[in-house]
Amino acid sequence: MDRRTFLQLSGITAASALLAGCKSANEKLIPYLIPPDEGVTPGIANFYASSCRFCPAGCGILVRVSEGRAKKIEGNPLHPVNRGKLCARGHAILQELYHPDRIKQPLKRTGARGSGEFKTISWEEGLDLLTGNLKTLKEQKSPGSLALLTPELRGTLAELTTRFMRSFGSPHHLSFELHSPDWLRLANRQNYGQTGLPFYDVAETRYLLSFGADIVESHLSPVQYGYAFGKMRQARDTVRGHFTYIGGRMSLTAASADRWMPARPGSEGVLALGLARLILAESLYDKAALASSGLHAEELLKGLRSYDLPRVAQETGLAQAAIAEVAREFASTRPALAMAGEAVAFQSNGPESVRAIQMLNVLSGSLNRPGGIYPDAGSPEGPTNSFDELISLVKKMHGGQMRMAMIYGDPVHTVPPATGFQEALAKVPYLVSFSSLLDDTALLADLVLPDHAGLESWGDVIPMAGTREGVIGLMQPVVTPLFDTRQFPDVLMTAASELGGEMKSALPFPSYLEMLRADVKKQRAVSGSKDFEAAWVDLLRQGGIFTSNHHQSGDYKWSGGEKIPEPAKPRFAGNEKEFPFNLSLYPSTAFFDGRGAPLPWLQQLPDPMTTAVWGSWVEINPKTAAELGISFGDLVEVTSPQGSLRVPAVIYPGIRPDMVAIPLGQGHHDAGRYAKGRGANPLQLLAMTMEGSVLQPSWNATRVRMTRISEKGELVTTGHPQGSYRSDLIEI
Amino acid sequence: MWLISGLLVVLVGVLAVLAFMYVLPLDSRDRAPVQPISFSHKKHAGDNAIPCLFCHRLAPKSTVAGIPAVADCRACHLFIAQNTPEIKKLMTYWENKEPIPWVRVYSVPDFVYFPHKMHIRAGLNCATCHGDVASMERITRGVKIKMGWCLNCHRQHKASIDCWTCHK
Repeated sequence: MDRRTFLQLSGITAASALLAGCKSANEKLIPYLIPPDEGVTPGIANFYASSCRFCPAGCGILVRVSEGRAKKIEGNPLHPVNRGKLCARGHAILQELYHPDRIKQPLKRTGARGSGEFKTISWEEGLDLLTGNLKTLKEQKSPGSLALLTPELRGTLAELTTRFMRSFGSPHHLSFELHSPDWLRLANRQNYGQTGLPFYDVAETRYLLSFGADIVESHLSPVQYGYAFGKMRQARDTVRGHFTYIGGRMSLTAASADRWMPARPGSEGVLALGLARLILAESLYDKAALASSGLHAEELLKGLRSYDLPRVAQETGLAQAAIAEVAREFASTRPALAMAGEAVAFQSNGPESVRAIQMLNVLSGSLNRPGGIYPDAGSPEGPTNSFDELISLVKKMHGGQMRMAMIYGDPVHTVPPATGFQEALAKVPYLVSFSSLLDDTALLADLVLPDHAGLESWGDVIPMAGTREGVIGLMQPVVTPLFDTRQFPDVLMTAASELGGEMKSALPFPSYLEMLRADVKKQRAVSGSKDFEAAWVDLLRQGGIFTSNHHQSGDYKWSGGEKIPEPAKPRFAGNEKEFPFNLSLYPSTAFFDGRGAPLPWLQQLPDPMTTAVWGSWVEINPKTAAELGISFGDLVEVTSPQGSLRVPAVIYPGIRPDMVAIPLGQGHHDAGRYAKGRGANPLQLLAMTMEGSVLQPSWNATRVRMTRISEKGELVTTGHPQGSYRSDLIEI
Repeated sequence: MWLISGLLVVLVGVLAVLAFMYVLPLDSRDRAPVQPISFSHKKHAGDNAIPCLFCHRLAPKSTVAGIPAVADCRACHLFIAQNTPEIKKLMTYWENKEPIPWVRVYSVPDFVYFPHKMHIRAGLNCATCHGDVASMERITRGVKIKMGWCLNCHRQHKASIDCWTCHK
């Protein structure tokens, strides 16, 4: 090339680059065809108060809406549960509204079950199919063969489903959630004589002792307790509350503690009783509280005789000195608070362990006191044995007694297969799903009648265990529904009025909104008699009915008597030789029990402890990993007596060497493009333990073994967890 | 030697041309783009003296000035100049239920918070920024919207020149 050509060429290149730069980049300015209604001003945002129904905590939200589109969610400062704060899941429900794979209108299955072949149908046809099938059951005089499966419902939705099933004539309404606090209600009934959930006054306490309760991530009302935890640490001038966490895996909550005590799984109850014995023996207990509970220290001590320090230290695997120190600190600091969490409750000896832990609150005199434990006034009584109901329903479905199931939620993903649920569900001839994404349950359904997204729905959300004040959060549609979907309760009502007769008179409302308004009117009638229309608008603006008067009547009173809870020796599925590691499954910070997995914001939210994103992993102690020749990111096969799966390894010093942990939430068969086929669902590993011939909900009592498969685990992390949690900083 | 000086001259020349083209807006597509309908501001705002805010009615209450909905255009033109070719175009848009894809002339980057509302309330004339629109057949951007230009005016009117006023 000579110089002339070179110069010519570079000239041409420069000129063309210049011309490309000159190309008009002007945007289009698209006007409305018809100007929108009053209330919408382009460029000016509206803020609507609503409630989050993504987890049972039921926080209040404020949604920023511009030009009729929901843009951003924040916490509602007026809501007593979250006081303007909000968790990542709450922020992400915006993507539930805009999910590209939402079901836009009713679907009817055309291919085989699970093939995902559906054809779109109209709502008339969908409702005809629903009511037609219901009518057939009625005509065949077998209304009892209809099952309704939902998560735990509260408020008007619970009322509506109950009336629907009762008037239809079927007793088979199952409210099941993997982490529902049935165990806590049960323990409360035995110890305090009432089944309501407790409200822990974390903000005012000076010594917090958590037995596996992950209060800042998932336990009961995480936003409320996260906020209260901050207050406990920093809101008082002279006191910084102390926090000790007991549990085999260092969760985000444990990492926030002053002391982490990795007790052996299943030994937490024994530890609590050991602490109780020391407190009684050294006369550090609250004498007045003990007397008013009708307890005598000598009697209790007799029962606790066998829980001496050496035995407790041996069973828990903790140092004697540490146990004694915690006992003395807990008893000599007032107020002090002990909490039991899911990691304890879902052991084979869970119920008794939880009772033993609750007894510590009596010894420290923490019942009904600031910094202690109160009955929660918000949530109504809930189920205490939904797991047994699940098992009996599985038996009926398996025996072919159930002809039709209506399913709200995604139990196919969140119920452990060891219960036989998935197998039994396949035997039900007609399945109706109300999911708004094609999740694992909808994939099997014969008919899908898609629900509105939360931001398009009416409703009342009664928060669980996050407040002592009576709270009914209200949900209102902040945008016009994007697609041809209908709200689940409205579909039930339409079906009821189509079926007529008793069903129609059981639900005499033209729509769910009218039922909600009638219920709110009833609630308001107690507290005031303003013009209802104005009061309704005020309530919607505020975000719900918030009463400030504390629940007075039902204080806790010890009713457990002097009989000491006796946590049995924990039993595990799988023998120790063949399956050497205890498997711990914990709700993922991002996905909770799996409902958050379809939302990409949550997929790319790094796990706070491992920084992993977009997948599943298994956490292994460095010592164990070294013995098995596993290094960071290797693909590992985890095998339990029930099944096996392959996930990448995260070498994690914050876990006992005899334990491994896998987060819940991934491993969906579909549920949209962001969740489909990502990671693994560890519930398939769970084997149930038996109490006699009865299955138990012991989600944390399975043993596993591990084999290294290859170095290609395809783990994605956003940081270097090995760097931030070096083994030499954590002693086990 | 002559080779190096020759290259230098060429380089300086190219830079000069570039700078020239940057400073002198030779390309008018950006400042006065062809619109889908040849709407004349001169006819509306000039000859017929329709106030700006009659059509751009959001300016006093929103960040954006707003452009009239197709229905608003049609409301008048059902009775005025129905048979001119441009109004027929307008009616075709309406009948197809399509909004008119106007081309944007004025814009600020998304890191700038510019509310029309505040400027109208401060008593500024629309023409201060948008020029003598009433005499324009096709809308033409007469000013270069650069930060210095904003600051000048803010200084003159003793408006806040804190960073957070506009960049938030």
